[in-house]
Amino acid sequence: MRASIPHEAGTVDRDGADIYYEVHGSGQTTLFLVPPAPITHSKIFKAQVPYLARHFRVVAMDARGNGRSGQPTEKEKHTRAENVADMLAVMDVTETTQAVLVGHCHANWWCVEFAARHRDRVTGLVAIEPGVPYIGPVQQHWKDTAPNWEAELDDPQGWALNNRHVYLTEHRRWIEWFFGQQLIEAHSTKQFEDAVEWALESTGAVLVAGEEGIEVEAPSKEDFEKVVAAIDYPVAVIHGELDICQCVERGRQFAERVGGELHILEGAGHLALARDPVKVNQIIKEFVDRLSGARMNSHTWTRGMNRRKKVLYLSSPIGLGHVRRDLAIAQELKRLQPEIEIDWLTQHPVTPVLEAEGERVHPASEWLASESGHFSDESHGHDLHCFQALRSMDEILVANFMVFQEVVEEGLYDLVIGDEAWDVDHFWHENPELKRGEHAWMTDFVGFLPMPDGGDHEAYLTADYNAEMIEHIERFPRIRDKAIFVGNNDDVIPEVFGDGLPKIRDWTEAHFEFSGYVTGFTPPTSEESASLRDELGFAEDEKVCIVTVGGSGIGQSLLEKAIAAFPIAKRTIPELRMIAVAGPRIDPASLTSHPGLEVHGYVDRLYRHLSVCDLAVVQGGLTTTMELAAAKRPFLYFPLSRHFEQNYHVRHRLDQYGAGRYMEYASTDPDALAAAMVAELARRIDYRDVETDGALRAAKLISELI
Amino acid sequence: MRARLPDTTGTVVRNGVSLGYEVYGDGPQTVLLLPTWTIIHSRFWKMQVPYLSRRYRVITYDGPGNGRSDRVTNPDRYSVDEYVDDAVAVLDKCAVDRAVVVGLSMGGQYGSRLAWRHPSRVAGLVLVGAALPLAPNSERSSIAEQFFKPYTEPCEGWEKYNLAYWHDHYEDFTKFFFSQVFSEPHSTKPLEDAVAWASETSPDILEAEAARPVVAGEGSRASVATPDEAVAAWSLVLSELTCPVLVVHGTHDRIQPYGVGVEAARLAGATLVSLKGSGHMPNVRDPIRFNLVLRRFLDGLAP
Repeated sequence: MRASIPHEAGTVDRDGADIYYEVHGSGQTTLFLVPPAPITHSKIFKAQVPYLARHFRVVAMDARGNGRSGQPTEKEKHTRAENVADMLAVMDVTETTQAVLVGHCHANWWCVEFAARHRDRVTGLVAIEPGVPYIGPVQQHWKDTAPNWEAELDDPQGWALNNRHVYLTEHRRWIEWFFGQQLIEAHSTKQFEDAVEWALESTGAVLVAGEEGIEVEAPSKEDFEKVVAAIDYPVAVIHGELDICQCVERGRQFAERVGGELHILEGAGHLALARDPVKVNQIIKEFVDRLSGARMNSHTWTRGMNRRKKVLYLSSPIGLGHVRRDLAIAQELKRLQPEIEIDWLTQHPVTPVLEAEGERVHPASEWLASESGHFSDESHGHDLHCFQALRSMDEILVANFMVFQEVVEEGLYDLVIGDEAWDVDHFWHENPELKRGEHAWMTDFVGFLPMPDGGDHEAYLTADYNAEMIEHIERFPRIRDKAIFVGNNDDVIPEVFGDGLPKIRDWTEAHFEFSGYVTGFTPPTSEESASLRDELGFAEDEKVCIVTVGGSGIGQSLLEKAIAAFPIAKRTIPELRMIAVAGPRIDPASLTSHPGLEVHGYVDRLYRHLSVCDLAVVQGGLTTTMELAAAKRPFLYFPLSRHFEQNYHVRHRLDQYGAGRYMEYASTDPDALAAAMVAELARRIDYRDVETDGALRAAKLISELI
Repeated sequence: MRARLPDTTGTVVRNGVSLGYEVYGDGPQTVLLLPTWTIIHSRFWKMQVPYLSRRYRVITYDGPGNGRSDRVTNPDRYSVDEYVDDAVAVLDKCAVDRAVVVGLSMGGQYGSRLAWRHPSRVAGLVLVGAALPLAPNSERSSIAEQFFKPYTEPCEGWEKYNLAYWHDHYEDFTKFFFSQVFSEPHSTKPLEDAVAWASETSPDILEAEAARPVVAGEGSRASVATPDEAVAAWSLVLSELTCPVLVVHGTHDRIQPYGVGVEAARLAGATLVSLKGSGHMPNVRDPIRFNLVLRRFLDGLAP
C-alpha cells in the first residue's frame, strides 16, 4: 500500500506520448519531482512524497519512457527538448504557475534547461546527485565504456555491459549490474529490488533511445556555460559522497558554479533519496522553507525544570494485539509514577480502544499512514507473508517516522516507549543525531526467520535484516536505553539469526531484559468464570466454541472453514454452540449461516468471552493464543501461512506453556477440523501458568528511565 | 575573563553625550543589541554576544547614564526619541545601513520606535519582555501614584519602587527589583551581575531618566498605568511596522506581563515565542534557548 495517495492523477498527451503525473498535498509552494527516465519513474521519490506533501503541494511525473508514461523507442522522441516540453505540459495541466524543481541524476539537466527556457516558472532547484554536462569529471567506467557503446562485444562483463546491444538483448543483466553498483550501502536489498523492478517496467530499446536521445543536439561547452552562468534561482545540491553514477565532484562543482548550497552525504551512494530518506527529506524541507521565506512559527518552549514528565507511547497497530498489553503497562507506569503524562501516537484500530479508556491520543496520529491497512492488503486468504509485508511497508515507515520525529521534537518528551515501533528503532539508528529523550524498545520476538518456500534467497534476506539490526545495536548502543523482551528467556526461539550470525537466544539474553508475558488482563477464578458465563449467556450444559480472526480483516477463509466444520462436529457433540466473531473489517452477512451458529461483528472485550469458552478456533497471533493459554482454555490455532512470527515464534512460545493445538490451514479440511474440535474439547488442560505480573515488571524496567 | 572581546571599541558623541559602543565579528548581517533601562548597561547581552558574533556582526552600546556612556542628568536626554537617535548615530558611526534590532524591556520601546521612524535601517525587530503599555500589570498598578511620594517604613515589595527609597536604599532597591526580574529559582548569579551593573550608575541618574519628557505614545517610567492615549500610540507604531518582527516573552515575567508580548505580537503580525516558566530576562536565564530562537529568526532574514 502506498503511504500517500494522490488526490489528482492523470496523463497529458504530448505529441503522441502520454505523460503521467500525480499531485499530492496542498499549499502555497509546489515541488515538482522529476525522475531520471527511462531508467526509473516517479516511485523513486516514494520516500519523499508523503513527507513533503504534508508541508507542500507536490507534483510528480513519470518522465517519458517508463512508469505510466508512453514508451517511444525513437531517440528523436527522447531529446532534452521533449523532456522539457513534458515538464511544461505537466506544470500547465496541473495549473502549477511556479515550482521548486527537484531532479535526480540526469533529470537535473532537463531541470536546468527547463529553467533556462521558462525562468518565470521556477523558484528554485533541488539537484540530487546532478549530472549536467561539462561540469565535473565523468567516472572512469563511463569513459572506458563509451567508445564501445555500439560495438558487439564478446562476453561483456561488469561495466562493459554499458553497451547498446546488451541493453537490447540482456536488459535485466545491465539493470542488475548498474543498481548493484549504485547501492554501495550495506543492507540495501529492498532498495535494489525496487530499483530493478521499476527499471524493468521499461525496455532495453527505450533505454537505448533515452541514452542516445539526451545527447541529440547537445549544446557546446560555451553555450552550456552561458546557461549555467545565467542561473539566478536558489539551488541546493544533495550528493552522496560515494556516488558511482554521477561522481560527487560533479555535484560539488555545480553547487560552486551556481552559488548553491551543497549537502554531501558521506558514506552514501547515488540513491541517497531511497537509502537515507530521512536526511534527504529534511534537507529538501529546510531548503524550501528558506527560499519560500517561511518564517519561524509562533511556538512555546517550556523551561526544563518547569516540565512535567512526559511519555510518548507508540503501540503497534498491526492487528489489535498490543493495545491491551500497552494499556496495562501504561497503567502500571502511572501507578509507579503518578505525575507522568502519556500521549499515544498510534492509529486505527488501536486509537478507538485508547480513546474508550480515556487515554490521550496525540492529534498527529491522524497523519500516520495505515500500517494495518497495508498488512490487510498484503494478505490473501489465510496467507500473509509477514516478512515481505514489513519490507514492502518501507515507504509507510519513512512517512510515519517523519511524523513521529516532528512530534517528538515539538513535544519535549522525556521518554519514548516503542512497542514494536519499527520505524523509530530503525531510523533512529540510521540517523542517531535525531534521537530525543530516552527510548524503551519492546518486542515479543527477536529475529526474522525465513519460511521454507522462500528458499535460499529469503534466508539471505532475513539474515541481512537481522545483521543490520545487530550492527545497529552494536554501533549505537545509546539508541535503545532499554530493550524489553515481552516474555521469558525460554520463549526466545532456539535458532540462529542466519549464516555466520549469533544464536538468537544468546544475543537476546545479552541485549534485552525480560518482563515475562503481559496479558493485559487477569484470568477469572473458577467462581468468576461461572458468573461470567452466566453474564454472557453461556449455559452450563452447552459447549461454546468461539471462532475469531482478530481485528485485521485477514481471516475470512478460516471463519468459513470453521463454519463448515460446525455441523459436522455438532453431530458428535449436540450441545455444541458456535460463536463466530468476524471483527470490524469482515461483513458478518458475507458468511454462511447454520442453525446454532451466531455471527458477530465487533465484540467488546472479547478476551472475557474467550476466558470462559469451552473451545476456541483462532489464528496464530500471539495475543489471542496467549489469552487462551492464560485462561487455560482448549484451543486450535492456525498460523497464517508464510507468517514466520506465528509459525515459529508464537508456536515455540505456546509450546513452553504446553498450550493449544497447532493446526495447518492448508491440510485441514472441515472434517479434520471437526475431528480436532471434538478431540480438543475432551482434552485435559495442564498448561503451565502464564505469569500475571508482566505489566508491572515491564513498567518497573521502563520506570528506571524516567 | 570575557568569553569574547570586542573587535572594535569606540565612542560616538551625539547631542552632547558620549556613548560607548562595541563591535564583535564581521558577518554580512548586523545585529544591533539595544540598551535597556539604564539601571544596567550593555553587559546584559553577555550570553548572546559570543554566539551571535561567530555568524553575525554584533553591535552593543551603552545608553546615557551607565556603562561607558556619560552619566547624564538632563531628563530630556532620556526620551525614547533620543534613544532612537542614539541608535541611528551608532549605526552611522559603524557604517551600517541596515541591522536586525533587538530590544529588551525598555529596549522594546526604543526598538519599536526606531523601526517605525527609520524602516530602511531595520531589517528585522526582536522584542524581548517588551515594556509596552498593552496589558495591565496587577502587581505594579500602584507604582505611578506612589513613585514621587514619601515612602513609609517598613517598605516592602513594590513599595520600594519609590524615588525617595532609591535615594535612601539604592542597593536594597536594586536587589528587590532584580529578584522580580529573575523570577526563576536559582538565579543568584544573574542577580549578583545585575546588582553590580546597577551600582555603576546612581539614583540621581535614575531620577533624571524617570523624569524624561513623555511625548505622545512614549509612555514613561513613572506612568506605568495604561492611559488610552499611550495604548493607542504604541498600537499604531506596532501595527505600522513593515519589517519581520519576533516577540519573545516569558510567561512568568513579573515586570512586563506575558499579555504584553501576546498583544504586541498580534499588533505587529509577529512570530510569538512563548517561554513557559521564564521571567523578564530570558536572554540571561535561558540563554541557550534564547540564542537558538534568535539565531533561527536571524537565519530566516539572511539576505
